[in-house]
Amino acid sequence: MKALDYNTTQKPVWCPGCGNFAIWNGIKKALAEAGIEPHKLALVSGIGCSGKMINHVRAYGFHGLHGRTMPVATGIRLANPEMKVLVNGGDGDGYGMGVGHFVHAMRRNVDLTYIVHNNKVYGLTTGQASPTNEIGSPSKSTPFGVVDEPLNPIAIAIDAGATYVARGFSGDSEQLAELILGGLNHNGFALIDVFQPCVTFGGKYQYEYYQERVVKIENHDVTDADSALALSKTKDKLPIGLFYKVEGRPSYNEMHPEIEKAQVRKRDVTGLLEELV
Amino acid sequence: MSSVYVWKIGGPAGFGIMTTGPMFAKVLKASGYHVHGYPEYPSLVRGGYNCYQIAFGDTEVTAPYKKIDMYVALSDECFNREKFEESTYVIGDFANLKNAGDIKAKKIDVPLMGIVKELDGPDIMRNSVALGAAAALLGLDFALLEKNLTAAYKEKVAKINIEAAKKGYESVRERYSVVCKPAPDKCAPALYVTGNEATSIGAIAGGLTFFSTYPMTPASSILHYLAKCTREHGLVVKHTEDEISGINMAVGAAFAGARAMTGTAGGGFSLMNEGLGLAAITEVPIVLAVSQRPGPATGMATWTEQGDLKYVINSSQSEFIRAVYSPGSVEECYKFTFDALNLAEKYHIPVFVLLDKFLSESHFMAEKMPETGDVERGYLFEGNEEEPMAYFNRFAEKKDGVGVRVIPGTKGGLYIASSNEHTDEGFVSDKADVRKRQVERRFRKLKPLTDDMPHPELFGKKDAPLTFVCFGSVKMMLLEAMKHTDKFNFIHFPAVNPLNWEKVKKMLEGRNLCVMENNYTAQLRGIIAENTGIIIEKTFLKYDGRPFFNEEIVSFAEEAAK
Repeated sequence: MKALDYNTTQKPVWCPGCGNFAIWNGIKKALAEAGIEPHKLALVSGIGCSGKMINHVRAYGFHGLHGRTMPVATGIRLANPEMKVLVNGGDGDGYGMGVGHFVHAMRRNVDLTYIVHNNKVYGLTTGQASPTNEIGSPSKSTPFGVVDEPLNPIAIAIDAGATYVARGFSGDSEQLAELILGGLNHNGFALIDVFQPCVTFGGKYQYEYYQERVVKIENHDVTDADSALALSKTKDKLPIGLFYKVEGRPSYNEMHPEIEKAQVRKRDVTGLLEELV
Repeated sequence: MSSVYVWKIGGPAGFGIMTTGPMFAKVLKASGYHVHGYPEYPSLVRGGYNCYQIAFGDTEVTAPYKKIDMYVALSDECFNREKFEESTYVIGDFANLKNAGDIKAKKIDVPLMGIVKELDGPDIMRNSVALGAAAALLGLDFALLEKNLTAAYKEKVAKINIEAAKKGYESVRERYSVVCKPAPDKCAPALYVTGNEATSIGAIAGGLTFFSTYPMTPASSILHYLAKCTREHGLVVKHTEDEISGINMAVGAAFAGARAMTGTAGGGFSLMNEGLGLAAITEVPIVLAVSQRPGPATGMATWTEQGDLKYVINSSQSEFIRAVYSPGSVEECYKFTFDALNLAEKYHIPVFVLLDKFLSESHFMAEKMPETGDVERGYLFEGNEEEPMAYFNRFAEKKDGVGVRVIPGTKGGLYIASSNEHTDEGFVSDKADVRKRQVERRFRKLKPLTDDMPHPELFGKKDAPLTFVCFGSVKMMLLEAMKHTDKFNFIHFPAVNPLNWEKVKKMLEGRNLCVMENNYTAQLRGIIAENTGIIIEKTFLKYDGRPFFNEEIVSFAEEAAK
């Protein structure tokens, strides 16, 4: 498989220069490298510009509701163990509306790869603050500046039970593709938070903003949760790369032995009825 | 003895009434009686007032009564809650019951706590002493009580409880005579089953492989029942973080090929609304068991109502079709849940099994469960080995508006299940012609779906002066009342949407109609009026959280028929 094989007939409608293009390319490259055939891939997305990814990657797709990607993806994973599950969502989608589902999916260590297009803004609804936006930033819904503390998805993920936690940047497509590939090859919940500028409504959060701040993670023990947590809380600089990875914790499917027997067929319930006599 | 005898046990939550009641009902059943069990309880773990009523007789009994023939009082609260007649037998430890002083009922004094202390058992064991006493008073064979106690508890606990029951039994037999003789007919073995159990077993029979939800009374026992069956029967059951996740997970599983279902009460269903619309536009088949209780919001958590009929029919934005079964018996719970799973996969639509607390949690006797058809999965794409990368026209019409479903993993079947309006392959589109074509196609399923729904049925004598019109569990209450008066017959709706309303209209015309519903606004009446133009003026409505008791129906019917 080549990256181009994953193209569809649909032309992207993202704004020219949108950070999503790098994620799109990263996904295709990683899929090709992992050798995942389109019919074995379930792509799940939420609502927003990130959700439109579903039209552009050749795979089975489920374009769900705002904030609800995690339960849909979990259902797919549990019901059809043969499918690889790759989820695309935005920061509003996953860290705002869907933050409860996000945390619970990680507690469960569902075997899926979750890419969050984190641009600190609601792009498709034309510029409201997202949960990762910093205090003081003005937006359409916070004209006098955000007053809510920004949410730290990396810290939450490490704490909640994700077993692969990474952060990529649309300005470094090579590293991004590697991180996605790592997620696809990981057995368990893989979060890849991506700094992905919204060139139209993203305000100050543009490529330059990130380029000045991002630093590649080096000399870090990815199996050490405490130092990964400390790294996620770095001020001023924004570390990108793999924060945390642990192997060996059973994934959600492995915790459900009944899945092997779950076949749709008429069942004999005589025994169950006899218990009620 | 009158044709139906009513036995009841009451006391605070935490006293074991909800296990003791059904167990004693099984003793009565094994003694040859027909039995119906109706529980009432507040939303409390300890305290308050719980009771379990057993109405039994020598013919089928299907609904609760106001009257009480024999009562087991476990606390003083019982005397504030219940009205006793002079003829009522009240079993109690009267040395320890202060409020019992002025009741007119016949007191059967049993030293419940004395016996418990004598045996050095836990306080809760007074139940077993009381059951022993009741069994003696009803002339039941002690061996049947012993057998059921053995089945209900672990060996050691069973042993001491049997001893306690024996002492209660002997204490009464020495001092009182039998007040109610066992029925001559032996109707055991028959099932003693709740609506939720029947719904769950129907789902398992129907090949369910995935169930996900958040617990909410009175639907929780569906979750519990299915959860304990996972390993043996091969199904995945998930208690999710909320109902939103519950329905979305079920939708994801169904998309991926599972037979999926969720279950909740009205409050949880409120959270499921967007997921319902998602299932509708993605044409992912799911079944929803919704058990009604009084609302809005939390309402009365542990009581019954039929207030969600219009809600399930109209919920979620815009327009789409869904099927709504409204079973009236445990047999229908079983059969319709089986059928619902088939119907959802045949038409790729959401299908409801609409229950209520009365049906979900009351016990009914059933000889056996009805025959069902086969598990049918509808049109499924088998795959195309030659073109593994090809997109598939999932949302193009095959027949009657229904497309061909593909289980992800199938070669050549790529498509997108999109919550946006979409093309035949599922790509997002808001073109006018695409929207129009998809809406019309989805609605073309309505006609064949209508033909698959069970039609309303007339019960009772054809020429009765009054015809009640009802849906769901009211059927059970009317069947009971019919034993006591010939002034009415009734038309029961085992499903409410969609129906062949021309046929319904013909059935309703020329009768003295009265709608009977457990709600305030007569929702079925509204739906009938909207679809047939027939406005049923007479109403018999109840919305206090209780089902219709037999005496209420009989006196209403006698009055209305005058």
